[in-house]
Amino acid sequence: MAQPVVQTIHRDPALFWWILLPITVVMVLTGILRHYAMILLQSAPKKQALPQIRQQRSLVRGINLRANANVLSPISFQARKAYMVSAYQEGKFLADPEGRGKPRPNPMSDPAAMEGIMGMMKGNMAMMVPQTLIMGWINAFFSGFVIMKLPFPLTPQFKSMLQSGVGTRDLDVRWVSSLSWYFLTLFGLQPVYNFILGSNNSANQVTQQMGQMNPGAGMMGPEQDPDKLFLNEAENLEVMEHRWILEGVEDRLLAKFAI
Amino acid sequence: MAQANLLTPPSTISPSTALALSQKAPPILSSTPISSLPWPLSLLFSRESPETWTIHENLFFAALRTGDDKSARQILTRLTTRFGDTNERIIALRGIYEEALAKNPGELEKVFQSYEKILKEDPTNFSIRKRRVAVLKSLGRTADAVTALTVLLENSPTDAEAWAELGDLYAQQGAWAQAVYCLEEVLLVTPNAWSAHAQIATLHYLTVPSTLTTLSHSLRHFGRAIELNDSYLRGFYGLKLVTKKIIPLLSSPESKRNHNTDDDDSPPLKLETVKKLEELATSKLAEIVRQYASGKKGWTGYDEAEVIAARELLDRDGKVER
Repeated sequence: MAQPVVQTIHRDPALFWWILLPITVVMVLTGILRHYAMILLQSAPKKQALPQIRQQRSLVRGINLRANANVLSPISFQARKAYMVSAYQEGKFLADPEGRGKPRPNPMSDPAAMEGIMGMMKGNMAMMVPQTLIMGWINAFFSGFVIMKLPFPLTPQFKSMLQSGVGTRDLDVRWVSSLSWYFLTLFGLQPVYNFILGSNNSANQVTQQMGQMNPGAGMMGPEQDPDKLFLNEAENLEVMEHRWILEGVEDRLLAKFAI
Repeated sequence: MAQANLLTPPSTISPSTALALSQKAPPILSSTPISSLPWPLSLLFSRESPETWTIHENLFFAALRTGDDKSARQILTRLTTRFGDTNERIIALRGIYEEALAKNPGELEKVFQSYEKILKEDPTNFSIRKRRVAVLKSLGRTADAVTALTVLLENSPTDAEAWAELGDLYAQQGAWAQAVYCLEEVLLVTPNAWSAHAQIATLHYLTVPSTLTTLSHSLRHFGRAIELNDSYLRGFYGLKLVTKKIIPLLSSPESKRNHNTDDDDSPPLKLETVKKLEELATSKLAEIVRQYASGKKGWTGYDEAEVIAARELLDRDGKVER
């Protein structure tokens, strides 16, 4: 077999000015626009009521005690442990002591939870709408163009990635179609946004989606029963082993400074 | 000493530094960070950054400290127009401003009433709660301040700042056990803070009646502080004081008898070790004093008053190794 012929396609230089550049510019601008739209749509975090704050911070206190107990002498640790465990088991820190043991209300009927869901929906919409529009725009005007050639060879697996919208089987993989260029910019513009908007931007949908994987990343999501968390923490405290870091510190010091 | 700047001021500001900081006010106040252009253009051309406002806030404190109330007022107005009247932090800053300007207890009382009103509307405003405690303290109502702090901590038990403050108040009243308890809470939040270890050690040291247990706790906490920061002057100073107090206790025969009856939960200290620690503290203090006096690079960061105190302690001891 003969060597595969190097394909040469004569492209109109206007392709660059009228397709490649517009797509790129539009993508960058939508990203920036989305960033500002997200800022506008964001609702300020709702203020928690005092009992809720107390409930949450008391839990954190228990966790702190568990994590840093080694600074306490055995006596004061035992005293604290006894207090925390009994307080947790009695539900002293609960924001709503009467609601203890009752099943959690359906999150859909809780207006506070609804607000969170609405916020997520808004974020999703801000992502979906422009994406759909631009995709439609590109499909309508620019589909089927081969707009650039990559300066390096690639394996045929990349064909579907780089040449979507161009239905030619024998075309070299290095040619990139306009629709594929759209996808490449869609996923690859994050560094550009970081440069323009600062690293904490909400321009890119990929990072958006990652953020939404765990919306209630806080320790006390609305769906968790605080009473259960407290009982759990009480159990953790009960079984933990205590070691006093100050024990033998005098010998450690002497060893450290002896050198 | 490095030049103090407004973005990252030192944690303890000496009067001269405060003055130097507040004298930077005119250039900052003469340029506005918010651009005067109409709306869409102002977004593009503003020179504002998060740092701008940190600088403003620190300048505000420095100005109040040095009595430059006019600049403070200007900064406060600027911050208020930027962040709005209802911002928690702005409310607290305004409170600080009013407190600083209050000339007599009566006016301070008025500020206190306004805090009460704010708290009635929004009980979750912890900065105002803290300001309220500060006002109570400056009015001399220590018992009320303690009550207010316990209420605050009941609702927010992870606030190290408040625990430390409460510890201070208890220590002022001589309630050593309570003070130690508060400092232990601080340690639970920040387990590696050597200053907190030194503070708790000091409290143990000051506890009356002082027993072998409290002193050995004190020694161990000082030891831990030094372990965390091996050029900590306060740690060595305290270590020396404590060891000097412990050695006679350990040497006397009755200490051994006492030991088992005491509610001691820690393994006893060995006389040998304590003596060695005393030597260590002495030599370290002498080194710090010497190096500080010679102005060697890397040794000049100590507070002068602390070094002088250390030198005096050594002189009193008679063993001058300079």
